[in-house]
Amino acid sequence: MDSWVIAMMLGVSIFLGSIALVAFLWGIKSGQFDDEQKFLNAVKFDTQEDLNDAVDQEKKAKELKKKNYTPE
Amino acid sequence: MSHKVGCTHCHLEFNENVMIVDSEHYFCCKGCQGIYHLLKDEGLDSFYNKAGDTKLTPPTQQYEDSSNFNSPAFYDKFVSINNEGFSDVSLIIEGIHCSACVWLNEKALHKMAGVMSVNINYTNNKAKIVWDDSVLKLSSIIDMIRAIGYNAFPYDASLQEVRANKERQDYYLRMAVAIFASMNVMWIAVAQYAGYFTGITQDVKTILNIAEGVLATPVLFYSGWIFYRGAYYGIKTKTVNMDILVATGSTLTYMYSIYITAFERGEAYFDSVTMIITFVLIGKFLEVLSKKSVADTLDIMSNHVPSSIKVVEEGKIIEKNINDVKVLDIIVVCSGERVALDGTVLEGEGNFDESNLTGESEPLYKQIGDKIISGTVSIDAQIKYEATKDFAHSTLSNLVSLLEGAMSNKPRIQMMANKISEYFSAVILGFALITFLVWWFWPHSFERSFMVGISVIIIACPCALALATPVATLVGLGLASRRGILFKQAAQLETMAKATTLVVDKTGTITQGKPRVVQEHIYDGFDRSLLYSLVQNSKHPVAKGVGEFVYQEGINNFELQSVKQIPAQGISAEYMSKMIFGGNAKLMQNQGFNLSNSLDPKGSLRPNGTSHVSENSEFYFAFDGKIVAKYELFDTPKVDAKESIKAIQELGIEVIMLTGDHQKSASKVSEEVGIKIFESELTPEGKSLYIKKLHDAGKVVVMAGDGVNDILALALADIGISMGSGSDIAIDVSDVVLLNDTLTSLSDAFKISKRTYFMIKQNLALSLLYNAITIPLAMAGYIIPLLAAISMSFSSLLVVGNSLRIRAGFKK
Repeated sequence: MDSWVIAMMLGVSIFLGSIALVAFLWGIKSGQFDDEQKFLNAVKFDTQEDLNDAVDQEKKAKELKKKNYTPE
Repeated sequence: MSHKVGCTHCHLEFNENVMIVDSEHYFCCKGCQGIYHLLKDEGLDSFYNKAGDTKLTPPTQQYEDSSNFNSPAFYDKFVSINNEGFSDVSLIIEGIHCSACVWLNEKALHKMAGVMSVNINYTNNKAKIVWDDSVLKLSSIIDMIRAIGYNAFPYDASLQEVRANKERQDYYLRMAVAIFASMNVMWIAVAQYAGYFTGITQDVKTILNIAEGVLATPVLFYSGWIFYRGAYYGIKTKTVNMDILVATGSTLTYMYSIYITAFERGEAYFDSVTMIITFVLIGKFLEVLSKKSVADTLDIMSNHVPSSIKVVEEGKIIEKNINDVKVLDIIVVCSGERVALDGTVLEGEGNFDESNLTGESEPLYKQIGDKIISGTVSIDAQIKYEATKDFAHSTLSNLVSLLEGAMSNKPRIQMMANKISEYFSAVILGFALITFLVWWFWPHSFERSFMVGISVIIIACPCALALATPVATLVGLGLASRRGILFKQAAQLETMAKATTLVVDKTGTITQGKPRVVQEHIYDGFDRSLLYSLVQNSKHPVAKGVGEFVYQEGINNFELQSVKQIPAQGISAEYMSKMIFGGNAKLMQNQGFNLSNSLDPKGSLRPNGTSHVSENSEFYFAFDGKIVAKYELFDTPKVDAKESIKAIQELGIEVIMLTGDHQKSASKVSEEVGIKIFESELTPEGKSLYIKKLHDAGKVVVMAGDGVNDILALALADIGISMGSGSDIAIDVSDVVLLNDTLTSLSDAFKISKRTYFMIKQNLALSLLYNAITIPLAMAGYIIPLLAAISMSFSSLLVVGNSLRIRAGFKK
């Protein structure tokens, strides 16, 4: 067995693992794990309606930002 | 006939006939009805499905005008502008009972135009709101929160809290990277070790080394950054700390391993690098996790001081912000309210509960011309008084500033592990250098000598040492919290274990905190139900104590006519046009009853109305012209008091009782529970001076108390312990909270901390012993990477396993 096979397997698996790590770090940074109670209860408030509302809120925030950035 | 029905909004149950009926719904008040319709109109009524049967607080109406929130001064203090130009504020939301409440608040605010984001923390009810101030003002946000039945007040998100959270998050990130990398390095290392014993080609070895090196790099430079920082400060202050040992050891090992990998000879030690950093980082993190966030005085104040008070101005009563009230303003206090400013009574009279400030268990009677103190609570008094001091100079604020001083003067006892690690690091670095030099001059190649020198550092790596204290304290803390003992900071376990003296407050700590009937004398014509009905009308602790005592199954609550409170004496009422009186000796005398002869043959009565100096408080009950019952009440010690005090004394700790109460009741209580030394009639400052005196005598002092009168002493003592039912300030300034209020848990706290400290010592001894065996091996050059990894993990496991033994002996 050529040693490059080992190198490739190591490389691919470490790369895949690091993607998961980066996702986890992003989760910590954006405060998703800050409030454990809320985090666990979130399952209860995960209906279609709730998701739509979340999207609407994001849109609204974006519009406000746009408006704020073009004062001239 | 009426039966109880639940309010559709708040789910509290009331009799059907008092409820507001609205189609098929029942409401307990207009407020609940209003909210229900608002939510329905806004399409938020799915809240009720989410909330289930949770009981909510019905809305109250007396809110200060929300336009105050728009004042520039207010914005200055609480609102900050973030870098995108939006305003942001931190609020504490009152009335959150369930996750549905969080949902409702977030939802309702999200619906408002201009609100960017709302984030409410379920656990501490703190909310962070970001909004565009050009679209809407803060007052509308607060109005909305109030409209849906909650209340919000802003708080200064103190820098301390923000910083603590940031630090914790920082550790999470660094640990995530370190754990991820070391887990991966470990399975690569397994291949390395297998190869070491069974043969491996050099090119495969190099590939494995490179993979390990790639994983070790972020661990050393990102996760290990904390150690570099610590080492830098160590060098700056000229101390050899653990961080220097970890930083130099891991960096040298890392560089050496790169050299090995590049020149393809010997064994690389990347796995040791990641393991050292990861283990020591976990130890550090455990320490950070159990650090106490310093009490935020602003939070304490806002919880304890009425934010607005009623001031008489030009004949009208208006609500004013507490900071705007000036000296000589006239302030109105109703029964049940807290006094905010010091002053002199101008009009009215009544009883004040000063137990918060003085520890005096009996309420004090105040009339025109008497001084009243901020922080006391009016029991039945309805008075007008003139402020003699403004808020900043009133007793309560003074107390808080004294408190801040006391907190910063708290003695710190150096932790044992820190003491050891100071020497340890210097010694190990010295050993490593000597080993290297000896090997080099005792002709060996530079490479070989360097390797041996490094292996000393690797093997001596303080993994076990770093874990010894945090793991043991964490097990101790867990054990304690399961028994309702909350240590706010891990280091306090160690301090408490070294304690020599326990100082306890009397009222509420040793005793129940409220008078109980200890003796009952019943004469002819006594009607239990009638007495019960009478005492229901008073908030006085003595009346409450009697009420609790006479209550029994099936007792009647008669409707009494013309109930009158007679301040500092008792209550009078009429039943079936016969007069009833209940109160102290003074009341009976004033009503013309003869106390001395027929009722009390022993003559223990003090007919001059000074009953509060006797050991027991007395309560007389008269009906239809004669006295039909007499009760003696006493603030009795808690049931477990005697036993627990004895257990604590058996641990070799001196127990002292301090109280603001008078000498007689203090000596009675101390005798009953077996405390030999006590001091009575102490002011809050007196208590703290007493603690100071003990400090000067070289004692390590633990103080247990529950009231505002104890806070100075609590803050000054090496360990302050408060009762879970104690005042908020006391809980905030203390280091340990006993949730179940029992003295058994106080003695448990001592036992657990002593046991934990014993285990910490044992752990440190174990890790030093381990080093004593392995370091000579390393100096002799017998260490290979596998051995280093195994011994490192093994010693850490040993320490963790040993710490778990703390629980043994506390099985219950």
